[in-house]
Amino acid sequence: MSAAATTHDHGSDHAHDHDHHDIGFWRKYIFSTDHKVIGIQYGLSGLVFLLCGFMLMLLMRWSIAYPGQPVPGLDLLNHLPILGPIVHEMMGRFAPDGVINGEMYNMLGAMHGTIMVFFGIVPLGFAAFGNFVMPLQIGTIDMAFPKLNMMSFWFFFLSGVLMMVSFFVGTGAVQTGWTMYSPLASTLNHSVKNVFMHGHTVWLTAMVFNISASLLGSVNFITTAINLRAKGLTWFKLPFFCWAMFVTSFLLLLAFPPLEVAAILQLVDRVFGASFFLPTGLVEGGQALDISGGGSPILYQHLFWFLAHPEVYVLILPAFAILTDVIPNNARRPLWGYKAMVYSVLTLGFLSFLVWAHHMYLTGMGTMMSTYFQITTVLISVPSVILLTSLMISLWGGSIRFNSQMLFASAFLPMFGIGGLTGLPLAFNFIDLALHDTYYVIGHFHYVVAPGTIFALFAGVYHWYPKMTGRFMSDRLGKLHFWPSLLGMNMVFLPMFVQGMGGFHRRWYDGGKAFEQTSSATHWFSEFCSSFFGLFGIHVEPTLMGLNVVMTLGAVILAIGQIPFIINVFISIKGGKKITNDNPWDATTLEWATPTPPPHGNFTFEPVAQRGPYEYSVPGAPTDFTPQWVDEPGSTTPAVATETAKAHH
Amino acid sequence: MDIPYTVTARPDTGLYNAKVGIWLFLASEVMLFGGLFSAYIFLRVGADYHWPIHELNVQLGFINTVVLIASSVTVVMAWAFLKLRKFGMYQLMMAITVGCAAIFMVNKTLEYKAKFEHYSVKLTDGTILTGHLEHGYFVHFKDVNKLTLNVHLETAAIDADPVDYVLPYIEGEAPKFKTEAGDEIELNAASFAKLRSEAIDAMRKENENKQFQRDWTGTRNIVLTPVAPFKLKLPASSFFSYSDTNATFRDGTIAEGKLEDDRMTLDVDGIDVRSVADAEKSMAWEPDYLPAFKPVFIATRDHHQSEFKEKYPSRDPSKSATLQTESYFLKIHSANAEENMPGHEGAHSAEAQEPKEASGHEVTEAGGHAGGHHPVVVLKKKDISFFSNFTPKLNTYYAIYFTLTGLHGLHVVFGALVLLYFLVFNGKMMREDPEHLANRVEVGGLFWHFVDLVWIFLFPLLYLL
Amino acid sequence: MADNLEEIQKSVKKYLVIGGLLLLFTVITVWLSYVELPTHGMNIMVGMIVAAFKASLVALIFMHLNHEKKIIYKVLLFTVILVSVLFVLFYMTHGDPLVFEGFDKTSIKHH
Repeated sequence: MSAAATTHDHGSDHAHDHDHHDIGFWRKYIFSTDHKVIGIQYGLSGLVFLLCGFMLMLLMRWSIAYPGQPVPGLDLLNHLPILGPIVHEMMGRFAPDGVINGEMYNMLGAMHGTIMVFFGIVPLGFAAFGNFVMPLQIGTIDMAFPKLNMMSFWFFFLSGVLMMVSFFVGTGAVQTGWTMYSPLASTLNHSVKNVFMHGHTVWLTAMVFNISASLLGSVNFITTAINLRAKGLTWFKLPFFCWAMFVTSFLLLLAFPPLEVAAILQLVDRVFGASFFLPTGLVEGGQALDISGGGSPILYQHLFWFLAHPEVYVLILPAFAILTDVIPNNARRPLWGYKAMVYSVLTLGFLSFLVWAHHMYLTGMGTMMSTYFQITTVLISVPSVILLTSLMISLWGGSIRFNSQMLFASAFLPMFGIGGLTGLPLAFNFIDLALHDTYYVIGHFHYVVAPGTIFALFAGVYHWYPKMTGRFMSDRLGKLHFWPSLLGMNMVFLPMFVQGMGGFHRRWYDGGKAFEQTSSATHWFSEFCSSFFGLFGIHVEPTLMGLNVVMTLGAVILAIGQIPFIINVFISIKGGKKITNDNPWDATTLEWATPTPPPHGNFTFEPVAQRGPYEYSVPGAPTDFTPQWVDEPGSTTPAVATETAKAHH
Repeated sequence: MDIPYTVTARPDTGLYNAKVGIWLFLASEVMLFGGLFSAYIFLRVGADYHWPIHELNVQLGFINTVVLIASSVTVVMAWAFLKLRKFGMYQLMMAITVGCAAIFMVNKTLEYKAKFEHYSVKLTDGTILTGHLEHGYFVHFKDVNKLTLNVHLETAAIDADPVDYVLPYIEGEAPKFKTEAGDEIELNAASFAKLRSEAIDAMRKENENKQFQRDWTGTRNIVLTPVAPFKLKLPASSFFSYSDTNATFRDGTIAEGKLEDDRMTLDVDGIDVRSVADAEKSMAWEPDYLPAFKPVFIATRDHHQSEFKEKYPSRDPSKSATLQTESYFLKIHSANAEENMPGHEGAHSAEAQEPKEASGHEVTEAGGHAGGHHPVVVLKKKDISFFSNFTPKLNTYYAIYFTLTGLHGLHVVFGALVLLYFLVFNGKMMREDPEHLANRVEVGGLFWHFVDLVWIFLFPLLYLL
Repeated sequence: MADNLEEIQKSVKKYLVIGGLLLLFTVITVWLSYVELPTHGMNIMVGMIVAAFKASLVALIFMHLNHEKKIIYKVLLFTVILVSVLFVLFYMTHGDPLVFEGFDKTSIKHH
């Protein structure tokens, strides 16, 4: 247990496994309690769901740009081995001729949101990276409750399967948007005989499992962070990554229960005919419903957004977490304002619970409430700006390595900036009244999560891939992944701001074709797009409607851009360049002290944190990085636990 | 390779892992029940009806409270005895705890069952009659001579499915049907599937030359004529709506015939006129219904009102929720109106304070005949605006009552199972590593106390206030 | 922490006393709910105060919150704040409704 830990011979990867090879395939790779395996399981399923959500989006975009025309290539897809029958079954039932109708579009929309948020980004950002990286960074052998950790993943998996199954039950998937607003969500098709075989009921059941998985995960994360930190790793020597995960866990822990309440109450509404969210005298299709009434749809929105706003920060904080590792590492500069960032993220976590009703200005919930939520919403932008600014200043004076992860990380900064700044106007009641539910809002939050969070997630994949597999991902394919993604993302989301301010509503499945006004409205931006694409021989109407074609084109570019990534992930497992030591990026945090890939139990020595997590380019140090675990700058020998270090922790 | 701090506490935090974990979990549980309680407040503040007070079985609730408190004491004592290594006492205390949980759940089941069998019928003027439907409630149709099945081209939420939705409600043997083509068929899954696919093929043919989906024919009717007219007996859950000449089933199928009878026979055990503008003109006192009870109501009301005025001369009687209930919600405990007069039978009327659900079987014996336990009324359909048994459907109070107590009951079951597991399967750990087991029991106990803590709020909020 | 054995020995008796107190207060709650206070709101208030008292007995004594570690208090403090946010802000929706009483009727009359 000495220098071998950092300059480790990769010819003997299996040597580390010598006391575990007897646990068998199933326990080792499927029902594993090892945090790293669970992290990778979460990561892979998260990526698959991300892809599913993305495909649904492609179908939606087709319907918006070319309403009434059959989706091209479906016949080809039907011939694929496994995917074919699934697509055939899904499309065949609701859109037999390949034309997406309103009902189908609503299903796609609701499921796109649900899958992306609850099954794509949270599992990938929080559960996958959190599970894999956080225990390593705090220098422990595993999570505090490994069995609960396994249970968490399998609950999540079950919920994911249920969610996908909901496309195939009696009435198809939910059609009421990912927000499931009552009363529509409580009453839509609720007359079907077997209420359990209804997409909405399946959705609610799946969410109950998903929430349970999140709760188990977050309890585990917080306990691990509190009780299992390595010797000498005091709270303010903790990498910001762990802080962000810590705060995210609290958001999940305390914000999810109200959503669970909302889901349970809605389930009772649907299954037992209660009226939690149904007001007195509700009429559907000209017929008074057989309900008691007396409930309130606003109650649902309160309960829902009490979760769903903190959920936004659950989506973005893991992105910040990843960037605070990627940016200092590749800029070779310490993280600027570490303490300010820690306090900001704690403030952000707390404030995120106090802003939810800015999604509800349109409900008429009261002037006092509106005022209060406008104030808190503007307040919360302060810590967010501190986080983003600190990351940007961290670049200052650095000698930046522009590898794939850094490209994604540096693109994140302006992209998230656009997303954040376009959100500011929405904080104000009077602007929101005009922009509510338009494409402006869609553009705003997609800039935050798509070129924002997802770019950060890609950066994370490129960054930690060598630790997971012992090989680098191809940098050339990485760049081939990055540029089309950046182009595609902006082509999809930038026109949304223009359309949104033109009044385009987010639920139009025909992209506004039904309205005369929208078909003829023009804007300099749409005229520019028309003439610009005309140069390439692509016909784009110079109207706001024409922008739909631009966005769909962008989505296609984005789709093509992901192909190099998928190839990269798979071929690099066997074909990537081998790493030469356990710390290939010359990083400072504890996960790079482990052998590669880390064996069960992670460390070959007991790690002791000697210093802060971002000791890059320290003046006077012999190397431009000083890992947390070595005894002195420039050395590769791990520090040994001493009595002073013990007393310190 | 063991995870550190599973048994001993980490020096700087002073806690072992499971204890951090359980408190975090409880924090999340606090948010869960916090959300439910705030929903309770929200619904109660916004309620547009009289929120029930003392309407549940207070005795049963009280017993359950005592049981839960006792179990809370025993579980913490079990932990203490384990710490002191008094294993026998530890096992005894754990057993009592689990036993208490069982008693709690049995009581809960009795309470729920009584509620399910009890009905509340709201009349169009706001009068509410509570009671039992001895023979259920059915709408009868006779001379049904036509079924119209609505088939959709694409999968739709509501699509014709007569085999599941219509056939079960035909009284007697289902007749044979004649199709439009003149064939005589027996309606079953196979024959309907054939009809359905024929209809879909016909629609496809029609659509062949239409370019746009919006111009397509999306639905088609299949008309079936029975060889001989038949009768239908429909429970409320089987149809959407009906009129004098037809009934629409939940699958969209329309049966045409003659409405025979849609009256409801109710054994009344309570008349609630709190929501009626002029209580003395309530529909309940109409000659067809319960005119004999009008004097009883007036006497009871005046009795309570004057009593109230005597006791609290300075207060506004209309603002006392209890007085409103006492004087405008007449509880009936005998079919003979005279016997319901205030002060008629002291012991009896005290008993009538409690809702009578628990004595459902007595009602059955009386058979709903006049002179039995409760008066029987036959309600005309046009007078009924809403009816339900005492389930979440009835009103938001019962909705939140069932949700809160149901979730709480799930917690009781879960907690008891965990404690039972410790008791039954951790014997070896008890002898070899009692400190570890003590930690487990402490953690399980913390959860159990939390369940008790929730009930401490549930009991007054739902049963008393 | 009540980890030393003597203290635990003593606490067994304490638990019984607290159990008795809880039963007593349960009886008091039931009795109070039948007492006709000037408004029913006051009944609710009194009932909740008694319930809160009982709950704090359970939390402090049975759940050992009277001598717990700092970090647990921190977590619970945060939780309690959020729960009160849930209560207060939901309630405010009822307290401050945005009432729309139709377009200005007087001005319509004038025209």
